[in-house]
Parts: sequence; C-alpha cells; structure tokens
Amino acid sequence: MNFSNWQEQQEISGFLFHEARLLDEHRWDEWQRLFTPDGLYWVPLVHGQADHLNHASLFCEDALLRSMRARRLDQARAYSQQPATRTVHVLGNVALESRSDTGCMVRSAFMLLEWRKTEQRAFGGSVLHTLEREGGEWRIRMKRIDLVNCDAPHEALQVFM
Amino acid sequence: MTIDLQALVQPDRVHKRVYTDPAIFELEMDRVFGQAWLYVGHESQVPNTGDYFTTRLGREPVVMVRHTDGEVHVMYNRCPHKGAKIVPDGSGSAGKFLRCLYHGWTFKCDGSLLSVPLRSGYEDTRLDLKDPQYSVRKVARVASHRGFVFASLSADGPELGEFLGGVATSLDNFCDRAPDGEVEVAGGVQRVIQRNNWKIFFENLHDTIHAVATHESSWRAAKEEFESMPAGTPKPFEVVIVDGNGEPLDFWEKLELKGYDRGHGFMEGIFVPPTDPVSRAYVAALEASQGAARADEILRVNRHNTIVYPSCSPHTSFQQIRVIRPLSVDRTLVEIFSFRLKGAPEATFQRTLKYTNIVNSPSSNVMPDDLEAYNRVQEGLTSDGGDWVSMHRAAGRDQALPGGRASNGNSEMPARNMFAAWASYMGVRAGDAE
Repeated sequence: MNFSNWQEQQEISGFLFHEARLLDEHRWDEWQRLFTPDGLYWVPLVHGQADHLNHASLFCEDALLRSMRARRLDQARAYSQQPATRTVHVLGNVALESRSDTGCMVRSAFMLLEWRKTEQRAFGGSVLHTLEREGGEWRIRMKRIDLVNCDAPHEALQVFM
Repeated sequence: MTIDLQALVQPDRVHKRVYTDPAIFELEMDRVFGQAWLYVGHESQVPNTGDYFTTRLGREPVVMVRHTDGEVHVMYNRCPHKGAKIVPDGSGSAGKFLRCLYHGWTFKCDGSLLSVPLRSGYEDTRLDLKDPQYSVRKVARVASHRGFVFASLSADGPELGEFLGGVATSLDNFCDRAPDGEVEVAGGVQRVIQRNNWKIFFENLHDTIHAVATHESSWRAAKEEFESMPAGTPKPFEVVIVDGNGEPLDFWEKLELKGYDRGHGFMEGIFVPPTDPVSRAYVAALEASQGAARADEILRVNRHNTIVYPSCSPHTSFQQIRVIRPLSVDRTLVEIFSFRLKGAPEATFQRTLKYTNIVNSPSSNVMPDDLEAYNRVQEGLTSDGGDWVSMHRAAGRDQALPGGRASNGNSEMPARNMFAAWASYMGVRAGDAE
C-alpha cells in the first residue's frame, strides 16, 4: 500500500522523526504523551512473536510501566545512568502498511546507536507503528520494535528504543 | 605457578583473586562445576521422542534428549567420529534419530550408535563400532527431581536428593503450587549478559542489605508512580514488585535466611501474598484441586529466591528459574525460564511473564543497577586498593539447623555458606561458616 500523496508521507515521516528526536533528547514526558491511553510499547523477544501476554518480551510496557521507567531514568540515584545513556536513532524505509477508519499502520527501518560509559552498541530492526488520529494529532496505539537480534543474549537495555 | 587456594579463603573474608584470576576460574570449571549436580533443564522442554535442548554444564556443551522409551538422556553434544556438535545450539526435534551433519553417523536418542556409512571400510581396522566409545558419551550422572533434570560430570558424589538437602523443598513447592501438581516451561527464554564473576551474582541473590541502596532509583520511581494515582487506587502488581526493594533495613532484618550444606539456601518471601483478582482466582483453583487445608499449607511456603549452588535460582512464588552459566572469570550469562502451573488460570501465567519482564529481563527496571554494582565490584577488585572482600556481617551468630544454618535477614551468612562450599569443592577448608 502506498501513501496517497507526498504530503501524507511527509506528515507521517515527520511524526516518526519527531518521536525519535524526543527519545534521543530524553524528553520522556513529551514522548509518553504521543501514546493513546491504552497504547503499548513492545519489543518482542523472538522473531514473529504473535503474543505479548503469553510470551516473555524484551520490553512490554503500558502507560504505567513507561511512566515508571521514565521516572527511574531521571532519578539522581539511578546508578546505571551515571553517566546517562546517549542515543541516536536513524529512521528510513518508511512505508504504509495498512489504513483503517481511524488511522494507519506504518513500517520503518531503524538503526540505533547507543553510548554509555565506555561502550558503543548498535541495534537495528523494523518498527511497526499503529497510529490513530485524535483531534487532528497522531497518537501511537502500538509501537512494536522487531530487533534483528531480539533473541540474542543482551546486556541491560535501559532506555526506550 | 601454583595457586595457594588455602591462603585465599577464610571463614569471614575471601581474597579478591577468587573473583578475578582466570586460572582460578579454570579450576572452578573442573572442581566446582565438574563435581556438583548442575541444573540442565525441565523435562517439559523435551516433551516428545527426539526433542532436544542444548546447554552447557561448566564448559561442556551438552544436549538433553527424550529417547523412544520416554527416558530423558543428557549427553555431550559431540560426535564420536570427528567431534562435530551433533545438534545445533538451541532446542528442536531431531526426529527418531540423531544424525551428525558431517559424515552421517546416526545415533539412537539415547546416544547409542545405530549406523555409519561405508561400514565395510572399518573391517579389519582398529576401530570397533561395537565399542561404546563410538556412541555419544553420556554425562556421568543424570537424575530428575519432580521434572527438574540435573546432571553431574562426576561419577562420584552424593545422590541428587542428598545434594539438594533443604532446598529440595523449594523445588517441591514450585510444583505443589500447580493445581495439577506439575509445571511446564513456557513463554520463551530471556538471556542477560553480565560483566561480572558468577559468584558475585550468587552472593547478591541473598544479599538483602543492598536493596534499599542499590535499587533506590526503581523503588522511588514506583513509589512516586503510586503517589500520583488517585487516592484509594489499589496498589498495582507492577508497583508492588518494584517498590518492595525500598523497605527499610529493619524489614529485611526480620526475614529468615537459610543456608544449607553445599552452598544452597533460600530467603523468606518478601511479598505478602497478593489479593488481587488474578491471585484470588489462582488460590480458588488450587483449593478446588487440593482442598483448602492443603492449599493453605502449600501457600504458606513463601520464598523469594532459592539458591541451588552453583547452577540455578528458582523463584517459587512467581514460577521462574534463573540458570547461571559462567562464561569467563568476568562474564556470566543468566538465562530466565518461565513456568506455567498446570491447572491454573491463564492469567496466573501471564502474571509470571509480567514479573519476569519487569524484574529479570534485559530491560528490567530493577536489574541495571544491580549490574552496575556488580560491574563496579569486578572493576574495583582488579585494583591495588585492597586485597580482601568482607563477609563479616553477623558472623558467629548463626543458628545451627540439620544440614545447614539459619540467620536473620541482614546477615552475610549466605555468602559465608557459599564460600564454605566453594572451598570444599576446591579442596581447601574455609573453616566453619559460623
């Protein structure tokens, strides 16, 4: 499925780029407000994972858990954030997956560079955003991130991807 | 250079080298992991003939396979021909036979040699295909405790039941909590890489006094989250399991810690049994199956982490087992397996996964600060800033138990108890843990 026009593509890509920037700048409150009240942030543990309730995940966070994580990252005594994790997201291959009455599903590819203390890590994969129109603004009902190495052993993953 | 192990272990302190010296790590692989009963996996991971699951016991790659007669075998994942690992790492089904990819040597699911190609070429050679050395080598001993499969690389030593001692009750309670009396592995495996010696992780499992300090960021975040909710909101499960680390030191003091011979032990449960709808439905299912009196007896066994030294840590009340696999002197892999209680409502299992997602997964909000602490310990111990690691807290105040010892929750008894076992495996004496 294609975007209906250049403007629609620009608008949705712009939304995704804005979301990535909020994460890279640790603007957690603004980022959380992008979600619908029942919105889910989900990083599956295995490829093709169909279910976040009956299978463990890397991240599976509703509004409560996203808020707890954001609060923790900002605590003065979050020792594993001394220094804070720094990231940069690069998004591309933005494509419309499907359309509904209230919104759309958009797939993109992403690369994430992460730096903390002495180590640089790279993550990458595809992201599926389920977006809804609410009062003229886009909102995220689901952000699903499929890492190419989701099933690898990982060191701690602390910040939102 | 020989290592004077005796000089490194004392009853109440240990030398930093036991955490940092690669030569000592190699000795541990031989003497601790080469002797103890090690957790392999659960029988439910290989439900059908030919199903396999690979793991490592110490530095040995092994495979657990279900044979045609239903028995579960644990053998070295190595072909007796050229040495190739016969099955790929992970889990799957080999069908009725194990076939090596390299030259097609084929084995029954108990490892015995079934056929080799070009058999005629071996006539009149010194290779005798009937010799058991041309079957897949089994590990020295395998035994199961209520579906939990353990193996020992050594032919000698205590039977599994004697080895487990007082922590067998944790594995029993793990199963008893299922309305049908059985559990099964489900819902995937999480894997966390830690940059620390494996013993630091084990010691932390029963180190209550770090919680309030190390986990300040997560328990404060949880408390703030709850305070931001409308008055009268019942405390959500997610908050309960995170803000619990913020209990004051006198809370931990009152918890009972038990240590058993060979390094095992458990810590009393830190959570009051929850009364949310999911928990109530689960208790109703257990009572329907076992009767109210027996259900009450089962649920009274309220434990936080159990230590089955030196390979795993079951958590009985949230149904998971963490398997600890040392990779090198300063790298450790922890694998987290979740279990379904057979006969319990689906929501009970979903709560198990919620617990593992929030507390144990790589993205846990709790564990990164533990990992940071382990990491700083590992780095600090390589320095010349000091030679000894203290385990003095409440030394000499333990109460004797049959096959073990008990202490209050703030004692460093568990660390002393584990080092007494470690020293014994390594062939030296740390003195009494008391």
